[in-house]
Amino acid sequence: MTAETIIQSLASGLLMGLLYGLIAVGLSLIFGLMNIVNFAHGEFLMLSMYGAFFLFAFFAIDPLLSMPLVAAGMFVFGAAIYLLIVRFAMRAKTNVGMVQIFATFGLAIVLRGLAQYFFTPDYRSITHSWLGGKTVSIGGIFLPVPQLVGALLAIVAFGALYVFIKRTDFGRALEATREDAGAVALVGIDQNRVFALGWGLGSALVGLAGAIMATFFYIYPDVGASFALIAYVVVALGGFGSVFGAFAGGILVGLVEATTALVMPPSLKAVGIYAVYLLVVFIRPRGLFGSI
Amino acid sequence: MMALLETRGVWQRFGGLIANADVSISVGRGEIVGLIGPNGAGKSTLFNLIAGVRPPTQGTIWLDGVDITATPATERCRRGIARTFQVVKSFETMTVIDNVIVGALIRTTEMRAARRKAFEVLEFCGLAGRADVMASELIPSEKRRLEVARALATEPKLLLLDEVLTGLTPLEAQTGVELVRRVRDTGVTVLMVEHVMEIVMPLVDRAIVLDLGKVLVEGKPTDVVRDPKVIAAYLGDRHAVGA
Amino acid sequence: MHDATHAVRRRRDLIVAAVFVALAACVPLFVKDVYAQNIMVLTLMYAGLSQSWNILGGYCGQISLGHALYFGLGAYVTAILLTKFGVLPWFGMLAGGIVSALIALALGYPTFRLGGHYFAIATIVIAEIAFLLFLNWDWAGAALGIDIMVREDSWAKFQFTRSKLPYFYFALFFAAVAWLVTWWLENSKWGYWWRAVKDNPDAAESLGVVVFKSKMGAGAISAFLTAIGGAFYAMFVSYIDPDAVMSFQFSLLISLPAVLGGIGTLWGPVLGAAVLIPVTELTRSFIGGSGRGVDLIVYGSLIVLVSLTRPDGLLGLFSRKRKVEAAR
Repeated sequence: MTAETIIQSLASGLLMGLLYGLIAVGLSLIFGLMNIVNFAHGEFLMLSMYGAFFLFAFFAIDPLLSMPLVAAGMFVFGAAIYLLIVRFAMRAKTNVGMVQIFATFGLAIVLRGLAQYFFTPDYRSITHSWLGGKTVSIGGIFLPVPQLVGALLAIVAFGALYVFIKRTDFGRALEATREDAGAVALVGIDQNRVFALGWGLGSALVGLAGAIMATFFYIYPDVGASFALIAYVVVALGGFGSVFGAFAGGILVGLVEATTALVMPPSLKAVGIYAVYLLVVFIRPRGLFGSI
Repeated sequence: MMALLETRGVWQRFGGLIANADVSISVGRGEIVGLIGPNGAGKSTLFNLIAGVRPPTQGTIWLDGVDITATPATERCRRGIARTFQVVKSFETMTVIDNVIVGALIRTTEMRAARRKAFEVLEFCGLAGRADVMASELIPSEKRRLEVARALATEPKLLLLDEVLTGLTPLEAQTGVELVRRVRDTGVTVLMVEHVMEIVMPLVDRAIVLDLGKVLVEGKPTDVVRDPKVIAAYLGDRHAVGA
Repeated sequence: MHDATHAVRRRRDLIVAAVFVALAACVPLFVKDVYAQNIMVLTLMYAGLSQSWNILGGYCGQISLGHALYFGLGAYVTAILLTKFGVLPWFGMLAGGIVSALIALALGYPTFRLGGHYFAIATIVIAEIAFLLFLNWDWAGAALGIDIMVREDSWAKFQFTRSKLPYFYFALFFAAVAWLVTWWLENSKWGYWWRAVKDNPDAAESLGVVVFKSKMGAGAISAFLTAIGGAFYAMFVSYIDPDAVMSFQFSLLISLPAVLGGIGTLWGPVLGAAVLIPVTELTRSFIGGSGRGVDLIVYGSLIVLVSLTRPDGLLGLFSRKRKVEAAR
């Protein structure tokens, strides 16, 4: 193993890591907002990827252009899921733990089934997109263009999210609701609306990630499952509910994955990430990074 | 005579905040002792230390002459300390009698005996008629009584009551007061935390007033309410005096 | 008097269960169709599995989404002992159960400290790690799996070439045992401790319940029984690989009947399996090859609906009716 291969794989690990951060941030946002884990998060990603795929297949819109459309679609979808399902799940009086897990878990199963039924279990991919299959060489290290663009996009998205949360009214309402939902209700902020918008925003972010991932990843009904697990790891690392912890957590997971792939058979590379999840929740249940 | 419960120089710090500072109190067998004080006086903290939720930062806690400072909550229950919760914590998916059976099971593993014991305790607390109802269907005052029943089923020497009378209608509170008296008459010692003085004063044998984490005054309830230090402490807290 | 009504209720449950078992035992006399018998075997197996899951997930409230691990371990231990060491599956089954219970205890030690979502995700992750390890473990057949040669009809080796009936009766026995264990535990110190832990761990602790020990006990019993089901399944399909016995699919199918029928209840898993498994199998066969995913849509929707409208499961419909009648 040369130094070059190590740098090469760490660099691609870093790029994937930034994308993982983008996939996970919506999950973390929602968790921080209302202490609910969306067990259908992976399926949201899967839908976004299909969205980009079909916009490309039918209307020849490149994923780079369809990205805002996918994000907007996912915003509506996420808000609708909150209003139609999650809102009611939060009202449970008995078996609360079960309801909160299985309401979105059942949704995940339904979405996966719908995808299998309507989209068939076939593996799809977007060929000949603007980014697809291209690589650039920076200082002798080859970087795939889609991942590179995805990573840049993730950085931009996190930056925008930061500004959004700190500078806008909705962002402040979001923050305030995270801190103390009860008090916020007293101030007259409609909690339901904040939650719905939070779900919309979280889903739109995963929509962005899905659109870019569609350019270099196979698209199939079960694609969300493994990414969902990765997203949980990222969220655990970053501190459950911490938006910017997800950014750092994503990078770390990308690097861990790349390192594991160097020393273990490729089919075992996920084991490294899963082990990190367990280590983190066992040792530091509140995550590695703060709680912003 | 040795006191049933004693705290010796107990401190509790949360970061920079001092919730209890050098608190030494004692509760004798068969007494009803009221632990009172204005908001933020450290009553609940002390209560939780005695119940074994966490160990104190400093100081020791003694039950029956045995140091129980490091004893976890479960074990304290076995040794004879039972508690209720300020925010009621019923087992909502279980029936009323099943709630109480959980408590009774610490003294016996024989199910018939536990059930019989639970039913007796329910009768004692006036809940026998609701035995087979889901705990989630009880009205608030019944839930409070269920908490007491559950605690009594563990056959405690010392019963810790955390604001069981607060928020009840006058009639309900009166029933509650009578229940506490009857509990004492069965030989159980009672330490009750209350925020509102007026409710507990006629009931308790002795009152301990906490303020700013320290013992301010202790003595007969009639003396305590007239103590200028107590009045001063409560002055900033109109709600409690006026209630 | 109160004591007596409770005892009557428990005896009634036992009689109803005995009647069910007797009736179920007669069904194959009339239903000779192999496909239908196959569905019945699976229904009974999942009833038993979900009953086992229910001990930890339902009574004790620790929602595991990784029971495929114990199911797979039962299958693997049995298959490996049989094919590599010639150990009869009955002993393999027992060994699988014990191995699973021990692993459940070892995993429980760190995981039972985690709350709600963290615990559920940890169980998925652990099962997934085990899945990947088995996929790469050459000695255990890796992705190719283990073929259990079926040569003759033999109860000692628990393999049958001509008829599904022996499998059916074992599945019935397994479901009945899992039910009976639950029935017995429900009215024991453990049963009460578990429900207390589920509803309110703080209050439970204050009443002398050793919360951690309760969870460990529930985990071990649940894993043991689940592994017995896995061992049975290995012999039933006579071929195993990680996908066939340890994939996430099984974690789902093990937990869903209980959730659907009524989580933390004696009859919930039975009812849930009786609805879920036939519905899944029938929709799959009616819609045919093109309609993949319909089974997922059906039970996913059922789970969402039950979670939102009847957290106490389909069984809640019955008890509500009974209550209304009693009120009259």
